[in-house]
Amino acid sequence: MLGALALIPILIAIAIRVSGGASAGRGPAFLDQITGNGLFVGMTALVVATPLFLPLTIGVVAGDSIAGEASLGTLRYLLVAPAGRIRLLVVKYVVAAVFCAAAALTVVVVGSLIGWALFPIGPVTTLSGGQLTVGEGLLRFLAIGAYVTVSMLGLSAIGLFLSTMTTVPVGAMAATAIIAVAAQIAGALPQLEWLHPWLFTDRWLDFADLLRSPPLWDSFGANALLQFAYIVVFGALAALRFTTKDVLS
Amino acid sequence: MSPRTPGPTRRSVRILIPAIGVPVAVALAVIVPMQANAAVDLPDKTVEQLLQFARSSDVSALSGTIEQRSELGLPDLSGLTGAGGAMGGSSSGGGTGGTDAAASAGLDELLALATGSYDARVYLDGEHARLQVLDRMAERNVYLSPTEAWYVDSETQAATHLTLPEGTDVEQLKADAQAEAQRLADEAKAEAEARLPDGQSLPTPQEVLDQALARLDETTAVSVGTDGRVAGREAYELVLEPRTSDTLVGEIRVAIDGENGAALAASITARGASDPAYSIGYSEVSFQAPDASVFAFEPADGMTVTEQVAPISTADEIAQWKADAQAKADAAEGATVPDVPQPIVHGEGWTTVVELDAQAAMAALGEQAAAEGDSTGSGEGSGSGDAAASAEQAAEASAMLETLTQPVDGGRVLQTSLLTVLFTDDGRVFAGSVPVATLLDVATAGS
Repeated sequence: MLGALALIPILIAIAIRVSGGASAGRGPAFLDQITGNGLFVGMTALVVATPLFLPLTIGVVAGDSIAGEASLGTLRYLLVAPAGRIRLLVVKYVVAAVFCAAAALTVVVVGSLIGWALFPIGPVTTLSGGQLTVGEGLLRFLAIGAYVTVSMLGLSAIGLFLSTMTTVPVGAMAATAIIAVAAQIAGALPQLEWLHPWLFTDRWLDFADLLRSPPLWDSFGANALLQFAYIVVFGALAALRFTTKDVLS
Repeated sequence: MSPRTPGPTRRSVRILIPAIGVPVAVALAVIVPMQANAAVDLPDKTVEQLLQFARSSDVSALSGTIEQRSELGLPDLSGLTGAGGAMGGSSSGGGTGGTDAAASAGLDELLALATGSYDARVYLDGEHARLQVLDRMAERNVYLSPTEAWYVDSETQAATHLTLPEGTDVEQLKADAQAEAQRLADEAKAEAEARLPDGQSLPTPQEVLDQALARLDETTAVSVGTDGRVAGREAYELVLEPRTSDTLVGEIRVAIDGENGAALAASITARGASDPAYSIGYSEVSFQAPDASVFAFEPADGMTVTEQVAPISTADEIAQWKADAQAKADAAEGATVPDVPQPIVHGEGWTTVVELDAQAAMAALGEQAAAEGDSTGSGEGSGSGDAAASAEQAAEASAMLETLTQPVDGGRVLQTSLLTVLFTDDGRVFAGSVPVATLLDVATAGS
């Protein structure tokens, strides 16, 4: 799955390389910057991947975590070990969280590398119009990778909870992905504005705040708090469900 | 079948987790923002004291986040202005009339800034200022410094650079302005003293304020509202309510920092509405001077930079203008038709209606602009290009007018929650913060 995610920046870079650059203000954010600075391939890929592809892969990993074991019939054997159900749940969640980090980093790192290979690289232009040195720019990109990782933690908790609800992993995966998409649709409707601050997707695309000068860390904090609340609520629900569940397979 | 039977400890654990987790999450989400609204009790001030307090505020450095929200009841202007901006952007690359298009794009942008809803960071120190509008994945910036100004749009990768004419001495300009202001103040004082009966001195600032308040009081009920918290700071609230019910404005509220008297927030509510139609205020503010680096700006490579020179004039030029204006005014006294028709003001206070003969004004302004363009010769665009551009602009403007306005008897009307504009069929424009009916009355009475 990390390979599939790595394909996104590679496809973007090759497409831009073959067909020429985009004009300013068209297409996904940062797309027009790529021809001038290949490091932006990673950013463009994150903008493209964050709404759909990343949640899909997270959904697969988190949705599979418990339900997958159940469908293979291995869950019983895991629980025979004297480790406790909560501990199994925590380990499964940590695995999903590590995958979030790996996924975001894959996109950023592969994007930067392919951009470096195919395009000239140079000082990174911030949204404010100034420029950062390449080193500083790469640090900012890593921070953005961390932001996207944090963004996906809430969804991972939802996936984990759904995974405890069923023994059919595909159901949990699909439900997780659907919830991610539905939340974004709700987030796009101005009529539901009162709901927006409560959606876990609300700050997914605010990672560009780290590319301003000076960088704005407020959204990072707010996003972390929001995701933390989702982790607590859905983690608690998952724990409640999983500790009371009769494991038959 | 279950490998573990739920004993007392297991039950307590599985009840404990949600029992603690869910309330903690809810508490985090709900109580944290609520704390910001905890009751505030500042020492009481009367309206006069509060105004004086606000006047004496000398905040020159700050950094903060501003939220502007406006629901003027207009159809969404962003599409129109956005289209205009895009057109301006594309044609500025085209070549002919480039500066013109860029200038109009800038105007659109500024209009959008003034009327739109956005979050922005503001930085001020004694000399520099920066407005950083935080759009999603994009940013608009206005940098101001004593000698230059930048407008930067990250989406179009375009920067407009406004500089003073070469050789302008900023210090000299400042000194001139100060001297001029001082001279005017002295003149006014002398004039006022001459008018006063003998033995009476000028009123103190306090008396001036009292008089102004008394005059304001005729039309507006001014009061001090409940103390509140704005951007985490304790603030006084000044409430202005029109005494007449014939205006669209319901009330105006201004929040004034309880410590240093800076204005922290302002909102205008339409009559009968519960939420403000327009509000602007800090959501976070600090009165420390920001780091100098936030004001530094160098356009990145690959950015389209438009250079513009500000029409700043020296003292001599101002004097020349004044002489010209005086001469014109003298000439106009004899002549029947003034150069630019002056707006006519009907009524007073909140129900003021301003009337403008749009056709005559446009014609006169056009002539004037043409004359100025010839004399200063600042634009390198050819005359025909300008004409074409202006025709295009006019067509665009009229199309925009069509979509924005609704037909009424004798014209078209643009209705927002705070302002009504009537374009009559005979080319006059009436504007005021009043209902449509009032404008129609004024229009029929006037013609």
